[in-house]
Amino acid sequence: MTDTVQAKPDDRALVRIRGLTTVLSGKTVFDALDLDIPRGKVTAIMGPSGTGKTTLLKHITGQMRGDKGEVRVDGLNVPELPRDQLFGLRERIGYLFQNSALLTDFDVFENVAFPLRQHTKLPEVLIRNIVLTKLQAVGLRGAASLMPSELSGGMARRVALARAIVFDPMLILYDEPFVGLDPIALNQVLKLIRTLNDTLNITSVLVAHELAAIKEVADHVYLIANGKVVAQGDPKKIADDGSPWTRQFFGGDADGPVPFQYPAGDYARALGFKEGAA
Amino acid sequence: MSAQMPHKSIVVQSLAQIGNCGLFLLRILAAVPSSLRHVRETVRQLWFVGAMSLTIIMTCGLFVGMVLGLQLYHVLAIFGGTSATGSVVALAIYRELGPVVTALLFAGRAGTSITAEIGLMRATDQIAAMEMMAVDPIAYVATPRFLAGVIAMPLLCCVFCAMGIFGGHLVGVSWLGIDNGTFWSNMTANVDVWDDIINGVMWKSIAFGAVVSLIAVFQGYTTPPTSEGVAYATTRTVVSSSIAILALDFVLTAFLM
Amino acid sequence: MSQRKSYAVGTGLFIVLGFAALAYLATQTSSVANSHQGSSYTVDAQFANIGALKERAPVKVAGVRVGQVQSITLEPGKDVADVTLSIDNKYNQIPTDSVATIYTSGLLGDQYVGLQFGGAKTYVANGGHIGLTKSSAPLEEMLGKFLGSGGAADAIGGTYSVRADFTNVGTLSVGAPVKMAGVAIGSVASIKADPVKLDATVTLSIDKKYNQIPDDSSVSIFTSGLIGSQYVAIQPGGSPNSLKDGDQLVLTQSAMQLEDLIGKFLVNGSPSGGNNAGGNGSSNTPAGKH
Repeated sequence: MTDTVQAKPDDRALVRIRGLTTVLSGKTVFDALDLDIPRGKVTAIMGPSGTGKTTLLKHITGQMRGDKGEVRVDGLNVPELPRDQLFGLRERIGYLFQNSALLTDFDVFENVAFPLRQHTKLPEVLIRNIVLTKLQAVGLRGAASLMPSELSGGMARRVALARAIVFDPMLILYDEPFVGLDPIALNQVLKLIRTLNDTLNITSVLVAHELAAIKEVADHVYLIANGKVVAQGDPKKIADDGSPWTRQFFGGDADGPVPFQYPAGDYARALGFKEGAA
Repeated sequence: MSAQMPHKSIVVQSLAQIGNCGLFLLRILAAVPSSLRHVRETVRQLWFVGAMSLTIIMTCGLFVGMVLGLQLYHVLAIFGGTSATGSVVALAIYRELGPVVTALLFAGRAGTSITAEIGLMRATDQIAAMEMMAVDPIAYVATPRFLAGVIAMPLLCCVFCAMGIFGGHLVGVSWLGIDNGTFWSNMTANVDVWDDIINGVMWKSIAFGAVVSLIAVFQGYTTPPTSEGVAYATTRTVVSSSIAILALDFVLTAFLM
Repeated sequence: MSQRKSYAVGTGLFIVLGFAALAYLATQTSSVANSHQGSSYTVDAQFANIGALKERAPVKVAGVRVGQVQSITLEPGKDVADVTLSIDNKYNQIPTDSVATIYTSGLLGDQYVGLQFGGAKTYVANGGHIGLTKSSAPLEEMLGKFLGSGGAADAIGGTYSVRADFTNVGTLSVGAPVKMAGVAIGSVASIKADPVKLDATVTLSIDKKYNQIPDDSSVSIFTSGLIGSQYVAIQPGGSPNSLKDGDQLVLTQSAMQLEDLIGKFLVNGSPSGGNNAGGNGSSNTPAGKH
């Protein structure tokens, strides 16, 4: 880790993406994407399905690499990091998977303790205290001895959250944290995201579709479509910025800049008619 | 990759599969040093692939020994050589049946569960979650299971052989009335520690353990993370392991003899 | 944590069970004696022919295993095999005039080295040499010594007859060949039972070419091959007088049962010299005179 790649301390953006271009099996997912994630804020990334929001998170963690461009996290250019430094970086990033991704072999306690056991040689007492603290933070201290299969979707997600924050990371990435939750569980998760962000001074990145929830929790919103940022701003005002993208996305129109029809050849010809005959 | 597969011939596909499997073995072996930090995980896997397979191995070993004793007794009776039953049962079990049948059972019992488990871990993002927690999934998931297989197979094979001898003794001595002393002394006289037990049982079963667990881990790790993919990979584990075991058995027998 | 513990204990039990099974296989069902032992001393012996002797074959004294063959090498420049025997230290008092012989255990068994102790008061030292050896006798050779091979005389130049009395002719039939040194010199003319002596009187009709057979020659009934037909063999004696037409051969050896025959070789692992019964296969004196 040299000084040249180290971020300036006053750099306001924790994650800085510049000119990211990614082509996956012939489809351009990102087309010279530029995006900044400010420190200490909750940033939401929205967009139609299939625009690569989850893929973007994977670029930030180095699970995927773009074909061109820079992804700097805390000043480090992720695509160029060697494996050990990448792993070092990942220890400072929490990632909440869409389906929680709890290790099915272990109970809740061991799941949360897993990163600690893997990366530290802390005494058992200390591990126990840290894990119980994190479980208390997500309100599941009482469920410590349950197996993942015994948890509801909302509980599993909160356990995964406890696991993601067990190292007090600088950045948490939430991949669709609200999907499939009932209103109560959704509000619990929502409250947690906000509280964790404020109390631990974590930077949060949220990939989601639910505008109502995002209005409540996020400080900043990016709307991504066709591999570019098409709109950004305050979540409470973004729906009214007048661009056709926001109008369609937040208005929920079936057709618009995001076409109803998947790109296809001429319809008449596909049905066997001569072009223009009908 | 899977999108291009159907265009290639079966031969090219198999070769690619074998090549990928070999490269995967290198990754597993390269991760052995870092997996030493996960000794507990290896022990846990040893429990699952080894200790949990004991019941089936012991039962099958017993019956294989019993049926061998029964068959050989009647064949040897034609030549008036029933006293050789003990040694022939022992030699058949040590040199071929023990390692091969144990490996086939191991592929069916432990190999499939390894493949399905790893496939499901991928389908539920557990592998990705480990990557994200800066834990190398090869070192944490693949290598411990591989090592556990390599360690468990020879031990299981010894248990299988012991049960087989016991089964042969049960039928030969207790049922068909071969003299107990003759049974043992004939066996002792004809079985050699180095040729039959070390070369026959130990080396073969270590090699089989490595091959079966490599195939199981590889299939689980590389299958598409869908329920269909996991089911398909589980089948492939059994099929490829069985072929590999029997082919390798021939090579090893020719080589060790 | 209790979850972890139970895995560890169960896995430990599994490993112990596996090794216990291995120990059981290695000690109870196989011969540990076949493996290399720590303290041993080595002696050399040279054989003209080792037959199918292999490394790690047992070395026995009075049938008791005392060691094993360590290495078999060809003596450079000579066609003799140099066999190194690794012998347990307990049995390091081998007299210097002991004889090392290569034996076969059973009809189809493996070969081993047997040591017959001599009477010398000095012992072979570690790395020393056993001078007296008897090489492996291939089974075919051993049986051949008894059995000879087939073939009938042509009797072109006329024949003369001699008589011999046997206590048992086995399955000898009229027309069976009469052989000397393995070569057919005549045929059996008749087989009759002697009503007085209760013997079988066999008349042999021998080619006149072979009229210089000593009159004290012995005559035996042999079997050609393991399950072949029987024939009469003449072992020439040392008398200056030759057999004449109508003479009787006094020294006879009756047909032996196959079981007796094999038993003689194999029960003890080797034929002893006395059983060679004159060795018609190797005797050549009278036939050579011709």
